[in-house]
Amino acid sequence: MAGAESERLLTSTQCEELLRRARGFARGGGTTTIEARSWWQGELRWGRNRVSLSSDRRDIAVRVIRRVEGGEPTIVETNQIDDVSLESAVRAAERQSKLGARPGVGFGFFPKLPAYEPYSKGHIWSDATYGLSTEERGETARGMIEPAEAKGLVSAGYLEVRGATLARLGDDFPELRSAPHAHWHMPYTRWTHAHCSTTVRDATGTGSGWAGSSSYDWSAIDTTALADRAVEKCVASRNPVALEPGRYTVILEPQAVADLLEVLLRKLHQRESPESGQPGPWLLGRDEALGLWRSKLGLKVVDERITLEHDPADPLLGILMSLTEQPEPVRWIEGGILTNIGHYFDTDVRALEGRYHLRGPTGYRMSGGSTTVDEMIATTRRGLLVTRFSNIRELDGVSLLSTGLTRDGLWLIENGKVSKAVKNFRFTESPLFMLNSIEQLGEPVPVFRPARAEGAAPTPAIVPPLKVRDFSFTSLIDAV
Amino acid sequence: MTLSRRDLLKYGLHAGLLIALPRPLLADFGRGPEPIPPIQDPRVRALAERAVEAARAAGAAYADVRLTHTRIRDYRAASIRSVLDREDMVAGVRVLVDGYWGFAGSPVWSPDEMARLATEAVSHARVSSVGGVREVELVPAPPATGHWKMPVEIDPFEVSPFEIIDYLSSLAAFASKWSEWGAGQNSCSFQVQEKAFASSEGSYCTQQLYRSEGAFTITLQKDRRSVARGSLDVLTPAGLGWELYTRQPLRELILQLMEEVEEHWKLPPKPVEVGRFAAACDARTVARFADATLGRATELDRALGYEANAGGTSYLADPLSMLGTHEVGPATLTLRGNRSEPGAAATVQWDDEGVRPDDLIIIREGTLNDFQTTRESAGWLADVYARRSMPVQSHGCAGAPTALQAPLQHSPNLVLDPGSAALDFDGAIAELEQGVAIRGLGLDMDFQGMNGLGTTDRIYEVRNGRKVARIVGAGVLFRAPELWKGLQALGGRDSVRRYGMSAVKGEPAQRSYHSVSAPPAVFDQVTLIDVARKA
Repeated sequence: MAGAESERLLTSTQCEELLRRARGFARGGGTTTIEARSWWQGELRWGRNRVSLSSDRRDIAVRVIRRVEGGEPTIVETNQIDDVSLESAVRAAERQSKLGARPGVGFGFFPKLPAYEPYSKGHIWSDATYGLSTEERGETARGMIEPAEAKGLVSAGYLEVRGATLARLGDDFPELRSAPHAHWHMPYTRWTHAHCSTTVRDATGTGSGWAGSSSYDWSAIDTTALADRAVEKCVASRNPVALEPGRYTVILEPQAVADLLEVLLRKLHQRESPESGQPGPWLLGRDEALGLWRSKLGLKVVDERITLEHDPADPLLGILMSLTEQPEPVRWIEGGILTNIGHYFDTDVRALEGRYHLRGPTGYRMSGGSTTVDEMIATTRRGLLVTRFSNIRELDGVSLLSTGLTRDGLWLIENGKVSKAVKNFRFTESPLFMLNSIEQLGEPVPVFRPARAEGAAPTPAIVPPLKVRDFSFTSLIDAV
Repeated sequence: MTLSRRDLLKYGLHAGLLIALPRPLLADFGRGPEPIPPIQDPRVRALAERAVEAARAAGAAYADVRLTHTRIRDYRAASIRSVLDREDMVAGVRVLVDGYWGFAGSPVWSPDEMARLATEAVSHARVSSVGGVREVELVPAPPATGHWKMPVEIDPFEVSPFEIIDYLSSLAAFASKWSEWGAGQNSCSFQVQEKAFASSEGSYCTQQLYRSEGAFTITLQKDRRSVARGSLDVLTPAGLGWELYTRQPLRELILQLMEEVEEHWKLPPKPVEVGRFAAACDARTVARFADATLGRATELDRALGYEANAGGTSYLADPLSMLGTHEVGPATLTLRGNRSEPGAAATVQWDDEGVRPDDLIIIREGTLNDFQTTRESAGWLADVYARRSMPVQSHGCAGAPTALQAPLQHSPNLVLDPGSAALDFDGAIAELEQGVAIRGLGLDMDFQGMNGLGTTDRIYEVRNGRKVARIVGAGVLFRAPELWKGLQALGGRDSVRRYGMSAVKGEPAQRSYHSVSAPPAVFDQVTLIDVARKA
């Protein structure tokens, strides 16, 4: 319990002490890995133009991964860090590990794992985020509610600032280690994340506008602009007319692009799947001559103007040591060609240079162009302007055909001008189709990344607006 | 990887029993750390009261505190390696100052921390209250006192993990006994939560709540290729212990499931014929319809716009004028809510505001009758309640996963009244001259609970009372008001089935669990579409 009273997060010293103390409780040989996380969140939520809850929460999670001699690795977690709690967690893991003992079974063949230096140059900590006071949060909310209330509209929203730490210390597979930092051993890392979003509806519920943004740095979030945009969209989206479903040229705002792209991003993990013949978007087929399955790596999969990459030095992206063993720039798609898929140590891309573990994308930057959304609209004879998508679900794991809804602002464009608000649609479309039917690209900007579990690491994304032809809308949705 | 009986003999039964012993966690009741006692211990009460006092002293008009001690054990497969054992203690204090809520939570149980959380929560509420006035009236509730333990038969934490893994392995072995069958997913999860609640209105109550759930799937293989699969639908989340497994005839149910999967596979596949059909739906489909279109839409905070920036609002958007007059469906449609049903996932003695939940009628004979409420939200309906001579009281729907989250209104258990005739799913199909039969439909709803798309691989063409083909790639497109207006018949009392469901709500998001009971039903004019067809 010590330490948690005064500090919102575990410090580096506290963490180190905790990990060593917990490891010290291990009895009976074998290996012990301890992981310690702590998180803090400051939150403020509002609805119907008034703050509905302001809160401050924190927690700790200690994970004990214990494998006694000849036993199975087992996991026990606790959120208490006193001696008794830690010792009993280690004991419980040991008892469980003994039960799974498989005498005579070794861990099989593993090549020596690579060394790497902890990467410390990523932009992931912001004092502006960690230091945002309760008062400032309240001020911000009021500043965002005011413009809506002044126009007789109804604002709801949420802002959150969080900080978290992670450290891991272990001695698994000592015979495989080549350096102190590798895989199971993670130096103390701390990061911050902030996000803010608001939905403004008109009093009769016929119009709804949304805006949101996120960053590791609270000061990079322009809350005034968010509030104004949501109000503007709400007003402009009132009294929508029903349009026939069908194929439309669409101008997708960056948020809409990112929403649909998420279906594709999830598939950039596990190169092992296509290479073992499992159906998926990246399985090319069986190479009978060589007797193996081929993936689409090296092949053009989307428009050549598309590059999806992650540079840890990118000030808008950063990187967390907990999410990679390879803190180097990585390109998933380059000039439309699939160049990387996340993989495990054994599946090595650079076979001759050593093994590494490339996880799938945790954040990404997508290439763009120079066309502004206004220019896209001006050059469109008939099309739709989409604010964002909601409730997206993949229907087919191979074509990535997905369905979902437009939400919080959809407009008809006629002869180069936004002509009227339109009722929402359900779409049935694939992100691969979207990226292969691009007419114009705009400047990439950071988009809102939905909050994940408490204390979870952020996954920032920098995405451009796109003008896409023949986007498929399959039914009318009269929900606002 | 699985453990054999030989392992059991080798390592001894006692080893298995040992790991079931609770691990001591520490709390500080003012004399330094000591092992956490059972939740009914007066020292826990003193801790809770310390928080309430500190909040009152700091200026809170109302304060409540929750302390939870939660244990979770997940078996992600039938192997000891897959077991995840988690335990946590957290505390959260919620206060009301000038109509604004503040909340603070942490993992520390000590008198000092209770005071810190209380003052922190008050400072949050004060900051929020600088702006406009916000009237919050908590409707009266009698102070809660006492202790309640959910009456489970077998505490899953008193069963050795070894025994549970052995049981899971035996299920897999049973399903694999037949050459064409294999077991797929085979997992289960148990939670026990001890919870103390105290409020500035004199409530102090403690509860011990359980939740158990599992997943078991089988696959039918032909020529070493998996051609069809099915999953047991009797292991959904429930307010039960290990008896969820041991008190059900799982082997018989697996055999029944095999028959159903076999029948499914033998039916000729057929492409979708887009159009409108009469549809016989199984209890699970009807339960999901009721949950997604009626349950979610009658959460009062959602209907009034408090969830607008998260999951959305409700098509029942004007609660005050719709109550008692708005027709949701035919007179045969009655939906009830409760948190008292034994074995159901949302069952409690007191909710997270210390309210003893009552049974409510949400839809009465087709008309919108009530909303799901908390002590705050019930007050929003005070005028309507008074007009309709209904008591102004909370239905006890406040809840949160642990004390670390501030309570929100979550769904109670939902019960759809059965029809008067003794009809079941097979009977409903038999009565259908031409139409479709639907099993286990999964739903994608819009952000107002109104328009939905349902998908499942179990949609069948029915002719003259018999399933004649399975329709491949079909989906059901519906609008809630039309769907319920097309309700033709509801299954009888014996055909009612109960399913545990979970729902996510709020910012930060919270997951809650509830059960939904429903009979099979026949709907008129259900729209079938080809899900994968683009415009």
